[in-house]
Amino acid sequence: MPESSSPSPVPAGHPFRRKGRGTDGLIRAFFGANAGLTIVILVLIIVFLVREGAGFFPDYRKELELYRKAGLEFVDFPRKDLTAHEQMSSLLNRAYFAQVNSACRREFLRSAEATAIVTYVNETVTPAQSALQRVKEGVGEGGEIPKDLQASLTAKYKELAAKAIAGKAGKGLPPAPHLTSEEVTGLLNVLADRDPLSTEDPPFITAVDEQLAAKKAEAAAPFADFKATIDEFSEASSALDTLISESGDVVKATKEGATLHEIEITKRATLLEAAAKTNKPELKTQLEADAQAAVTTEPVDFKAAVEPVLARMGEFRDANATLGKSASEILAKLPAKLEDEKANRYLSAFRKALPEYQNEVGDTVGKMEAWKYDLPVGLGSTLWGFIAGRDWITGGEWQDFYGIIPLFVGSLLIAIIALALAIPLGVGAAIYTNQLAGRREQNFIKPTIEFLQAIPSVVLGFLGIAVLGTLLQENSTKDAFSWVPGFPIQQRLNMFTAGCLLGLMAIPTIFTLSEDALNNVPSAFAEASDALGASKLQTIFRVVCPAAISGILAAVLLGLGRVIGETMVVLLVAGNRIEIPDFSEGLGVFFQPAHTLTGIIAQELGEVPFGSVHYRALFVVGLVLFIMVLGINWSAQRILHKFRIGHE
Amino acid sequence: MDNPEQLIRKGVHHTALKEGAVKGFLGGLTWGVVLVALLIFGKICWDGVPTLLKPEAPFVDIGFLTKETETLHVFDDSAGTRHSMPASEYHAWVDKNGSAAVFNEQTYAYSGGGIAGPIIGTALLTLLSIVIALFFGVAAAIYLSEYAKQGRFINLVRLAILNLAGVPSIVFGLFGFAVFVLAAPVFTGDPADRTLLAIPLGFTYLSFQGWNSSLIAGSATLACMILPVIITASEESLRAVPQGFREASLALGATRWHTIRKCVLPFALPGILTSSVLSLARAAGETAPIMFTAAVAAKELPWANPWVMLQNQVQALPYHIYTLAARIPTSEYTQRAQYGSVFVFLMMIFIFSALSMFLRQRVRSKLKW
Amino acid sequence: MVNGSSTTVTPAIAIDTLRFNYGAKQVLHDISLDIAPREITAFIGPSGCGKSTLLRCFNRINDRIPGAKVTGGAIRIGGIDIARPDLDLQVLRRRVGMVFQKWNPFPKSIYNNIAYGLRIHGEKNRKLVDERVEYCLRRVALWDDVKDRLHSSAFGLSGGQQQRLCIARTIATKPDIILMDEPCSALDPLSTLKVEELLLELKKEYTIVIVTHNLAQASRCSDKTAFFYLGKLIEYDATQKMFSNPSVRQTEEYVSGAFG
Repeated sequence: MPESSSPSPVPAGHPFRRKGRGTDGLIRAFFGANAGLTIVILVLIIVFLVREGAGFFPDYRKELELYRKAGLEFVDFPRKDLTAHEQMSSLLNRAYFAQVNSACRREFLRSAEATAIVTYVNETVTPAQSALQRVKEGVGEGGEIPKDLQASLTAKYKELAAKAIAGKAGKGLPPAPHLTSEEVTGLLNVLADRDPLSTEDPPFITAVDEQLAAKKAEAAAPFADFKATIDEFSEASSALDTLISESGDVVKATKEGATLHEIEITKRATLLEAAAKTNKPELKTQLEADAQAAVTTEPVDFKAAVEPVLARMGEFRDANATLGKSASEILAKLPAKLEDEKANRYLSAFRKALPEYQNEVGDTVGKMEAWKYDLPVGLGSTLWGFIAGRDWITGGEWQDFYGIIPLFVGSLLIAIIALALAIPLGVGAAIYTNQLAGRREQNFIKPTIEFLQAIPSVVLGFLGIAVLGTLLQENSTKDAFSWVPGFPIQQRLNMFTAGCLLGLMAIPTIFTLSEDALNNVPSAFAEASDALGASKLQTIFRVVCPAAISGILAAVLLGLGRVIGETMVVLLVAGNRIEIPDFSEGLGVFFQPAHTLTGIIAQELGEVPFGSVHYRALFVVGLVLFIMVLGINWSAQRILHKFRIGHE
Repeated sequence: MDNPEQLIRKGVHHTALKEGAVKGFLGGLTWGVVLVALLIFGKICWDGVPTLLKPEAPFVDIGFLTKETETLHVFDDSAGTRHSMPASEYHAWVDKNGSAAVFNEQTYAYSGGGIAGPIIGTALLTLLSIVIALFFGVAAAIYLSEYAKQGRFINLVRLAILNLAGVPSIVFGLFGFAVFVLAAPVFTGDPADRTLLAIPLGFTYLSFQGWNSSLIAGSATLACMILPVIITASEESLRAVPQGFREASLALGATRWHTIRKCVLPFALPGILTSSVLSLARAAGETAPIMFTAAVAAKELPWANPWVMLQNQVQALPYHIYTLAARIPTSEYTQRAQYGSVFVFLMMIFIFSALSMFLRQRVRSKLKW
Repeated sequence: MVNGSSTTVTPAIAIDTLRFNYGAKQVLHDISLDIAPREITAFIGPSGCGKSTLLRCFNRINDRIPGAKVTGGAIRIGGIDIARPDLDLQVLRRRVGMVFQKWNPFPKSIYNNIAYGLRIHGEKNRKLVDERVEYCLRRVALWDDVKDRLHSSAFGLSGGQQQRLCIARTIATKPDIILMDEPCSALDPLSTLKVEELLLELKKEYTIVIVTHNLAQASRCSDKTAFFYLGKLIEYDATQKMFSNPSVRQTEEYVSGAFG
């Protein structure tokens, strides 16, 4: 049979000849279209993120332009100095108080614990106590309370008090590890025998408070000079402060005027448009009249408006000089070293930050003089302001800023904690389960960890709020942990708590994928290693794990993707403070609250007006998140493909 | 052999000690994780069981499961007795005793009554999303396993599935908000101002103005999210059907579609359904995608006809828990609602997951060709 | 014992009425056999006759398989019962090397494949390791082929080269005995020939036990041959005698190709 490129058609009438057009082609197209749906969804995600986000940069640029024109930017130059100065003063104050408080830590805790007990008892007896008070007020000054009512309420009071003291109401008495048991008993006895109407603190509380005050005074005495230096340093900004708040008012008024004018113009345009559309003559006239009336303000003359602020340049210069002088003088007055370790850390942080602060203060006058109200804001600098902006401030009356850095840093730090936990635990558990555990152990471990994966993130977030946060905070005040940086924890909800929970979420991902990777290592490798006389662990760590390393790395990356993209836990537990964490705390930085890329979207999208700059900014954050996670997943896939071990 | 006595171990090996230590360490890590998982489970049960279970018959607090969510009122009466009751009871009480008898009143939003609304909302959201996702997902899987040949399109589809699986849930939320809530097509006689595009059809308009925050928008968002999981699992089940079944059918002269319908799908169905149960658990557990597309903190039962229901917002358990956890300070009066909801929710998820694990084992052991 | 060793030298491996089970299934029945040092002993027999299982008992690599255990008898290597509880398994396996049916180099470089055995036994001196790697590669006639790419992956080599690399890896730890489990079954004839040449070369220093399906191979390179059938040792004698004049009928049928 001769070969031909296209076979001749089946002759008509032959049984092989196809009759009519089959529906198979249609069915195939239907299924194909469904498969294509995944591509459509992915494209839609990208298109809509970009569509909603794209308007952000021009709009933000416009806002920044107004920010400059109205002179807000000009006032913000010295204001930055003021903020920096406040931070510097706060560092010194923290050093001072850390030093003083470290000496009276015990007294402080005693006072807090005793107060907690009293508050607790007071709260429990409130129903009876306030009922008694009401009755008493009801009968007036000289009146007599009905005996039986008095008796029943007093009995009720006694009952509640007894319950509270026995610790039965609710969770029991607050813990008081720094009070002796006699002291607690004494306090409780006083509370039990108290007149039902009295809300006064028992004498013990006063005594403890006095002890605290005395100790504080004693501890503070040697540092009086230090305190005076600090106060003097803090005072140096007062002139600048007044100046800024006064000129701030001026420029803010300019901005508000310009915004109002803008709104009125828009309103007029809308009305005129409606007038053009309508075909009823009387409505048309009405609308046109409304449009004319809509604009009530004159366009703002920015040059004239900013003039009075610029005129005070001399004052700004003087205030700036005062600030600079105080900064250059302070170093000589500071004590060389403080006894308390933490106080010392703050002090050295201050010393470290001082040159930068001085530079900043020194630059300000130059910047202010070079400033012009009508310099255009480039799209590039808008973009840079988003990518490298250190502030995410929204809904304020001064100026909104959309800088992604604080969110990014929050996400990153939380991911670091989560991975620091999840990598050793996930990979370690995978190695143990796959290589060392017995069959029965495996059958217990694997489903349990799978169960961990099934726990919804909002449940973990709830546990973080209700259990873990409180647990960590309470334990952080214990004496045994006082050496840990950042302890005692100030905020119950912080990055560490969120990181722990996210680590818990990442463990199953890392565990399952690593276990798969280890499982896929051909047993011939382990057998060969055994036959060479390697011990079990040598085989595991020198042959099996290296052979599975690409799978394990991919598992870690996918775990990272999950951690970065997770929303509910961080939204609930991370503390939601939009600020770059204070790295002067050393490792204690992890115990500060933060906000994240995911959390900000979840928290703010529901509240922003549709189409506003803020709304669009959130979509841009979503786009950044999407690209990040896609990049992480893509690298994981690449690692898997590239380093796939060569075995048939 | 020289020195055969080398073969005999003398004393305790230094390395043996090290091996034991490392093994113990790894085992400790593993059991630590397991212990944490059990602790979480135990904690939720410990605090949740008292809400839901009662010592006397019928042993389950039916009211918690069947009543609507209400505000909890806590107050003292004139005799100094503290009461805590949901809004409906409270109003009845006030009607009876007068508002002057209420002292020290505190209110806790969403903490009273039951969680019938969230349970029903979650059930509807999940069911609807799984129906949508199964329809498209299984169809896509059939294409991938039965029709597709190697090529650009297939590579693109696989890439899309892989990437879609990694998209964070909050991004799905944004996507659902932008697409389903604000831009999906509806028929309306009066297009809204924000519509992207309104196509006049004579008697009405096809307007791309979105479905608003509604049950259908939320379900569609969730369906997009679980689609990759469903496709992957369905394709796996389809591929597990032996090639011989298809060949035998095709050899008898059946069409491709007939072969799929009669000789492939019935055998793959158990596997597909098993995996969909797992997706069900995932869809039920997600909060971020429904935050802006469907969920609402408070909503009254009962809802009118199904058509209206689809276009309305719903309560959902995960969102309810989020509200309880984020918006309300924890106190002894909110614990019942908080731990009760979490317990019910976790039990739901747990039952789904356990069911899917069990079914998977069964399908695997049963279907051996 | 069907036929004891004719030499007076102490046997390298002495097997005494060995019984072996996989779970409840007995796969080796009362095997007794002495393997002489510095000779090649071939185990032949049809599939599933237990020859590989027996081989895998010599370095107790069967311990890896759940349910596999010796249920009777003993194996003595150098006079030491290898089942005794205080046996150092790692030392045993170092001194009784093994080459597998399917070549299984580690997913490491050629150099590291050979250095692995030395490193796990605590050899840290780089120079010594370098020397030993070169020596082993020369012994298996691989050095000239790979000396320029010592640090590239072992998977880049051909099948025969990989198998020779595995042999080199085995001799790197200076074993006394080398066990080979059908080392040539997956190789082409040319590579097989090279491995056989290598065996004859290695015989001068090592006791070699080889399991093979290839009767011609057994007759070409072994000194003694043991024939197994259904878990029993049927006949054990000098190779020449086994192939020319076997004393048992089953052996004769097998070597003549009547079954198997």
